[in-house]
Amino acid sequence: MDFFEAIRTNLLSPAVIFFVLGVLAVVFKSDLKFPEALYVTLTIYLLTAIGFKGGVAISSAGFSVVLIPGLAAMMLGTAIPLWTYPALRYLGKLAPVDAAAIAGHYGSVSAVTFIAATNYLKDIKLPYEDYAAAFLAVMESPAIVVGVLLGKLATRRQGEPLGAAVKTSLHEAMFGRSVFLLVGALVAGALCGKRGMAGVEGFFVTPFQGVLALFLMEMGMVAARRIGDLRKVGPFLLGFGIVGPLLHGFIGAGIGHFAGLSLGGVTLMATLSASASYIAAPAAMRLSLPDASPTLYLTSSLAITFPFNITIGIPIYYAFACWWQS
Amino acid sequence: MNTHPMKLVTIICESLAGKHVKKLLRETGAHGWTLFDVEGAGAQGERPGDIKEFGNIQIEVIVPPNTADQLLERLHRDYFPRFTMVAYTSDIQVLRREKF
Repeated sequence: MDFFEAIRTNLLSPAVIFFVLGVLAVVFKSDLKFPEALYVTLTIYLLTAIGFKGGVAISSAGFSVVLIPGLAAMMLGTAIPLWTYPALRYLGKLAPVDAAAIAGHYGSVSAVTFIAATNYLKDIKLPYEDYAAAFLAVMESPAIVVGVLLGKLATRRQGEPLGAAVKTSLHEAMFGRSVFLLVGALVAGALCGKRGMAGVEGFFVTPFQGVLALFLMEMGMVAARRIGDLRKVGPFLLGFGIVGPLLHGFIGAGIGHFAGLSLGGVTLMATLSASASYIAAPAAMRLSLPDASPTLYLTSSLAITFPFNITIGIPIYYAFACWWQS
Repeated sequence: MNTHPMKLVTIICESLAGKHVKKLLRETGAHGWTLFDVEGAGAQGERPGDIKEFGNIQIEVIVPPNTADQLLERLHRDYFPRFTMVAYTSDIQVLRREKF
């Protein structure tokens, strides 16, 4: 498939069109607004559905098959902040605590971006490892803890203990609602297996695409409400919000390739690597690195990287995957 | 009707601070509180409140005057530097003093 055709396919999927619709609702000051409870409901549905499906896939593929790529994903998530931090700090001239917080966000992952990528693969009829949701689960937390550690080490005052902040971020990273739900649903799916899937398929699989479209409309509004903050983040971070994910996507595709994944799986690994967290990481950073500016990390991950990834990024990561696999 | 003077302490803060504020309320001996999700605008710009974690909450607590002072002092010392927060007191009258 030609590259521009790949981008066109993605842009014309219901999920992306509804995302744009959400952005337009804010741009044109429509009074359209989702109740906050619906936002939470849709997140719970999406995370449970992909977690459960991933768990069922683990039970049929066998845990040993998932282990190597799972470990690779985890290492990738841990390593990304380690090079992102110096880049932000020395190239971007950001304050140490801001560089550390942003580095944590980009090492961590966005579940919705991952889901959008699986959606895209379905669209182009490319099979992928259904258990990839496990990579999503193991990549969310490590980077957050690394980011907090980097920030604490860089700004530590004499005699101040590290323990409390690391404990808070660990708790937030491991038991924050997204990780808890995803891991819980993975375990549930792995325990139930195919037989359990038969019972819940009508609820968790069939309406999934529609729920995703609805959720992305809300995300379009959430992202667009922060467009005004783009002026505050400066040109470096604007560029980083796009160049960083491209670089991480390329590296992620390479790691996925060497971990032995299929073309679809490599695309997903690249997407995970390129995505940035916008719920778990901001919440953990706000509590553990209160001096870091939320405007900087939230705007770059939510208003720059997220829209970029779900519109143009995913087809590019697919192209990276093709390059590595050829 | 026989009423008693009390203080109403109102705290408006980012929702992530909620857990900490509630802990502080317990420590200072407040007997109960009311919490609601709010949205608005202030020093941090507009807080749209679309994602719970980044929204604002308002906590209201009725306490005797000396507890109110203690509460504000602790908020000022421990939490104002860390969280986005506004706190103020108002004079109110209650019927059943022993409840607070």
